[in-house]
Amino acid sequence: MSGAKPRESWLSTTDRLAPLLMLAPATIFTLLMIGFPFVYAGYLSLHKLTLGSPTPPVFIGLDNFIKALDDPVFWTALRVNLFLYAVGLILELVLGTYIGILLGQQLRGVAIARVLAVFPAVIPSVAIGLVFVQMFDPAQGLFNFALRAFGQRPLAWLAAPNTVLQSILLVEVWQWTPFIALIVMGAMQTLPTEPYEAAVIDGASGFQILRYLTLPMLRPAIVVAAMLRTVDLMRIFDSVYIMTQGGPINSSMTLNVYAFTQGFLFSQFGYASAIMLVLLGLTVIASASLGALRRRSGV
Amino acid sequence: MKRLNWRGALGKMFVYLQIILMLFLILFPILWMVLSSFRYNVDITAYPPKLIAPVTGENYVNLVQTNNFGRIAVNSVIIVTGSTLLGMFLGVPAAYAAARFKKQNWAFLILLARMSPGILFLIPWYMVALAVQMTDNYITLILTHTVITMPVIVWLMISFFEELPPEMEESAMMDGCSRFQVLRLIAIPLAVPGIAVSAILSFIFSWNYFLFALVLAGFKTMPLTVAAFQFIGTSAVNWGGLMAAATVISVPPMILTMFLQRWLVRGLTAGAVKG
Repeated sequence: MSGAKPRESWLSTTDRLAPLLMLAPATIFTLLMIGFPFVYAGYLSLHKLTLGSPTPPVFIGLDNFIKALDDPVFWTALRVNLFLYAVGLILELVLGTYIGILLGQQLRGVAIARVLAVFPAVIPSVAIGLVFVQMFDPAQGLFNFALRAFGQRPLAWLAAPNTVLQSILLVEVWQWTPFIALIVMGAMQTLPTEPYEAAVIDGASGFQILRYLTLPMLRPAIVVAAMLRTVDLMRIFDSVYIMTQGGPINSSMTLNVYAFTQGFLFSQFGYASAIMLVLLGLTVIASASLGALRRRSGV
Repeated sequence: MKRLNWRGALGKMFVYLQIILMLFLILFPILWMVLSSFRYNVDITAYPPKLIAPVTGENYVNLVQTNNFGRIAVNSVIIVTGSTLLGMFLGVPAAYAAARFKKQNWAFLILLARMSPGILFLIPWYMVALAVQMTDNYITLILTHTVITMPVIVWLMISFFEELPPEMEESAMMDGCSRFQVLRLIAIPLAVPGIAVSAILSFIFSWNYFLFALVLAGFKTMPLTVAAFQFIGTSAVNWGGLMAAATVISVPPMILTMFLQRWLVRGLTAGAVKG
């Protein structure tokens, strides 16, 4: 409290405690619901325990982490995670920026398009998963009908190891590109008009305006979007679990789905916690590098 | 000049063309979902796919009659309402304090929930809930969903409170109001639009959240999202029923989003923009 002493002179001494009291419930809630589980997960990651058995957790040091190094599924999951993160982020950023610029313009009727375009990002991923499972169906699905109509061979989509990741990526990009578009649209509304007027007077082409004016001015918003998506793409769970549960033969397993399986299907809570701590570490590294990029570019 | 206008008109048409194509790609799966939910299974899986097919409400009737969806919908409403109210109760005073006393750094603490993979918390929650026999319990689900709703509410409300002019609050305090009275009698009434936006967004977030209830809910408390997911296994060929379930869980967030368009960016990016 001493460091953050309020400057307002009219503040009476009895009110000095008010900010602390106002912050207290939320703080206590956060400590109980996140702080304690966080510490407990750290504790679990260093132990072996079997749920329901009378034996207490056995301290095994870093064995759970070492086990991961020897676990081929862990490495598969890590690769899948990084693939979905890197490719997903790039596709979503490019397409999202494009759509955001498109819908950020002042045009008649575009307001309705803005509302409709964000629907994928606000409906439950379960609904999205169900629709795409139906459309990906090898025998009856719409996607294979379209392929056949264009004279292409039908694909197994989610059912084959060599197409499942691209299929999940398709859903992920479809669902979350609108989210990036939304952020870019928001930033478009706040751009100043003067540079554009000057550019038009100077005879700049549309492409030059986009390249040297709009995109640089949108960069802060795009970096923010990238950071938010980093956190979510790294812990991708819903779409994978709903559509494939990591299959076929672990080919779409992510660290999150793997930890879920280890924890809640096989009761390996220590190992699952260790996997999640590794994932958290990776997410922190990825966000921190984007944060450094953000500071370096002065945004 | 005339030529330039002509070029401008053509350019505009090109922009509209891109928008229409993009909207088609974005909306097609949602349209397909809603359309299929009103069709018979033979028509959904027909080859070639049918553009026009007989319409039926039987999927929705079956959903309610054989799958207890009414009860499950009530579960969703209880969890979502509970976690929104609790998030408000905890988050609004905290946001006020953070806005007025410049304690945004404190608010970053609760953003940790957004950074961490949910399964990390879910494992300890599950073990504790088992130990105290509180799995399949509304209170457990409301508490865990509040981890999702509260950060959204706090960050949105910080920006709403920051926009309120402090003069009215200062004069009320000179008239002898305590800080808490100022919050209750002046700041909160002025921030009603912000509170409405926070409530709607927190409703959508809680409504859509899948993971926690997947583990912690049981037969008694299962919300719509988890029920719809379980439905895949039990009726894998009943596409009409699945699409009806998917439509039921998608419509409320879509309707709420329409009211909220201006605020959506702020809500979804809450906390990250200022960092």
